[in-house]
Amino acid sequence: MIQAKTPKQRRKESKPAEIVQAKPRPRLAKSVKRLQRQAPLLAVQGLSKLSARLRQGTGREIIDMNRVMEFVQFVYKQQELARRGANYEVDDFGFDPQWTESFLSVFMVLYRDYWRVETTGIENVPATGRALLVANHAGVLPWDGTMIKTAVFAEHPQPRHVRALVASLFMGMPMLSWFLRRTGQTVGHPDDTRRLLERDELVLVFPEGVRGTGKSFKDRYRLRRFGRGGFVATAIRSGAPIIPVSVVGSEEIYPMVADLGPVAKFFGLPYFPITPTWPWLGPLGMIPLPSKWRIQFHAPIHVEENPPEAAADNNLVMALADQVRDTIQQGVYDNLKRRRGVFL
Amino acid sequence: MTLPRPNRVLVTGVSNPLGAEVARRLAPHVPHLYGCDLRDPISALEEMDFVHADTRHVAIGKLIRQLNVDTVVHLAMMVDSPRDERSIHETDVIGTMNVLAGCSAPSSRVRRLIVKSSQAIYGAGPADPSFFSEEMTNLERPASSVTRDLLDMEQLVSEFALRNESCQVSVLRLGFRVSEDTTLARYLSLPIVPTFAGFDPRLQLLHEDDAAEAIERAVLGRHPGVFNVAARGVVLLSQAIAIMGGTPAPILPPYGRWMGRLAMRAVAHVELQAHMADVIAFGSVADCSKLEAEFGWKPAFNSRAVMDALARGKTLEVIEAPSPPQEYELQVYLQRRRRSAGNGHRAGAVLEAHP
Repeated sequence: MIQAKTPKQRRKESKPAEIVQAKPRPRLAKSVKRLQRQAPLLAVQGLSKLSARLRQGTGREIIDMNRVMEFVQFVYKQQELARRGANYEVDDFGFDPQWTESFLSVFMVLYRDYWRVETTGIENVPATGRALLVANHAGVLPWDGTMIKTAVFAEHPQPRHVRALVASLFMGMPMLSWFLRRTGQTVGHPDDTRRLLERDELVLVFPEGVRGTGKSFKDRYRLRRFGRGGFVATAIRSGAPIIPVSVVGSEEIYPMVADLGPVAKFFGLPYFPITPTWPWLGPLGMIPLPSKWRIQFHAPIHVEENPPEAAADNNLVMALADQVRDTIQQGVYDNLKRRRGVFL
Repeated sequence: MTLPRPNRVLVTGVSNPLGAEVARRLAPHVPHLYGCDLRDPISALEEMDFVHADTRHVAIGKLIRQLNVDTVVHLAMMVDSPRDERSIHETDVIGTMNVLAGCSAPSSRVRRLIVKSSQAIYGAGPADPSFFSEEMTNLERPASSVTRDLLDMEQLVSEFALRNESCQVSVLRLGFRVSEDTTLARYLSLPIVPTFAGFDPRLQLLHEDDAAEAIERAVLGRHPGVFNVAARGVVLLSQAIAIMGGTPAPILPPYGRWMGRLAMRAVAHVELQAHMADVIAFGSVADCSKLEAEFGWKPAFNSRAVMDALARGKTLEVIEAPSPPQEYELQVYLQRRRRSAGNGHRAGAVLEAHP
C-alpha cells in the first residue's frame, strides 16, 4: 500500500514554499493600533487642556501637570527597566543606580508633599570625593535614611547617591534586604565603611543604631550614645571629613508609647513598638504620620587632617565623636525652634 | 631561602575535572609528574604517572616519601559533593592529615605544598561584611558541616606551615565554580529556579580555567600564604537566572533554610548543601586584592563572563567524548612502554606496591 514516491510524483505533488508566520496573532485594524500607540500621549494632552481650563476657571492649580508628568515618567522608566532583562551591571556591593533612580519620583512625593522636607546647608556636602555623613536616628522604621538620600540626590547641584549603612538585622529580612542592597545600602561593618570611602563615595551612618530608632516618644529629641566612636576612627583612617546631619520630624512619624520587650524577643527584633495605630489597625498602622521635617547638613568636621595613626588614640576619637554628637543635638534643637509646629 | 623549581610533583585528586586540567597545565613545566586518585583519570596524559591511592589511607604518606616528591598539590578535597557529611569529613580532614603527615616526615623532601580550599569556609549570613578578606574566617559561627571541615582542615595546614618552615605552603580558597556538574550550576540551569522569597543576593563565581591557572601559578611561583581566588565583579542571583534563560520563582520560605533545602531535594532533585543555601540567600563575596597583589595576576573571567560561558555551554549540544576507560588503558600502555625504555623503575615499583 505504502510506496515510495518517484521523484516525478514528488515534483508534481509539491506545493510552492510559503513563509510561515511565527505566531498568528489577532490582527488589529490600523486605526486601533494607532490609537493604542498614541493613547498615553492623548490622555496627557487632554489632561493638560483640562488643567489649563480649570486654572482659568478657578484661578488655582487643581491638576498639577508637573506631578502628572512625573507619574508618566515613572511608568515609562519602569517599563524601560523591565526591558533591559539581564543586561545591566551592579557594582560589587549590589548597587544598581538606574534602578534606584527610577524610584526617585516615589520618594520625591514623600519628600515634597507628605513630609514637606526643608533642607538647609546642602552646600556643605562635597560635589566629589569621599565624606562621611553622620545623622541622628529616630522613628521606628528608618525613613530618615531614605529622606537624607533623597535630599542629597534631589537638592544637590551635583546629584550623588548616598550609601547608607544598615543594621545587619534588616539585611536578614526578606524583601528589605533585597531592596536595601539594590539601592546601594550595605551592612554596618567597619570594613564596608572603609571600602566605600576608599571608592570616594558619600557614606551615611547612624551611630545611634537601633537604640535610636527604638527610643520612646518622651525622649524623642534626645540623642543616644554614639556607639564607641568607631565611625570617627574609620573616617580618620580613610581620610574622609565628617558632615553632621540633624533630622527633625522623623521623631513623630510613629509615636512609640510603649515597647513590648518579650514580643520583640520572640520575633528576634530589637524592639516591638506600640503606637496609637500599631498594631491595632494592622498594616494601616505602618503608615507614618505626616509630620513636618527639617534636615540640616552642618559644616564638615575635618577629622582627616589628623594622621591615620590618630585613629588608635581613644581619647581623641571619643572627643571627636562627642563633638559630632553635640553638633547634631544642637542642630536638632535649633530646627525644632524654627519649625512652627509638629504638623505644620 | 632558595626554593628550587618544582621537579617531582604529586597531584592528589587528579581524576576530578579541575585536577585533570591542573595536571595538563603542569605537564610541560615539570620533569616528573605523578597523580593519584581513587577513580580512573578522565583524560590520558602521557607525562603523568598515575596511581590509584586513597588520601584517607595512611599509605598516602608512604607514597609521598617513596616517590621523593618535592611538591604536593593537594586537590583531593570534597566541597561541593553529593556525598554524605561523614565521607566529606573523612576526605577533607583525615585525608589532609595523612598528606601532611607524609610531608612532615623527617626524610621528606617536600618543599612546596599547595592546598585547595574553598570560599565556603566563610559561610554566609546577614551580619557578614560585603567582602570577605582572608582573615575573616569565623570559628564561632554555628557553621554548616562543610564550613566546619574546611576550618579544621586549614587549621591543620597552618599548624603544619608553622612547624615546617622549610616547606612553602599556599592555600587557595577557590570561589564557587559553575562548570557542568557543580550544585550551583545545576541549580541555575533549572527551567524554573526556586529562590528564597525576598532575597536576591550577589553571586561571585570562578571560571574553571582561572581556578586551574591560579593553582598552576601557585605551583610554579613562590606565593606562601592563604589566598582568595574568585572572579572580579558580581552578578545578582536574578540576573544569573535570567542569563541562563530560566524564570526565578520566589517560593522557598525566607526563614528556616532547611525547609527550602528539603523542598529543593523533593521538587527539583537538587541537593543544596547547608552552606550553599546560605549563599543563595545572603551571598558570599571574597576580596581578592591579596591575590592580585602577590600573584600579579587576576582571573581572566569576571563573574558575568563566567555566567555567560555557562549559558553558552548550556545551549551547545553535547558532543560525546571518547570513553574514559579506553583512554586509561592507552595511558597505562604508554606508561609501560616508557618504563620498559628503562627510565622509570621507581614509579613502576610504587605502582606495584599500591595496586
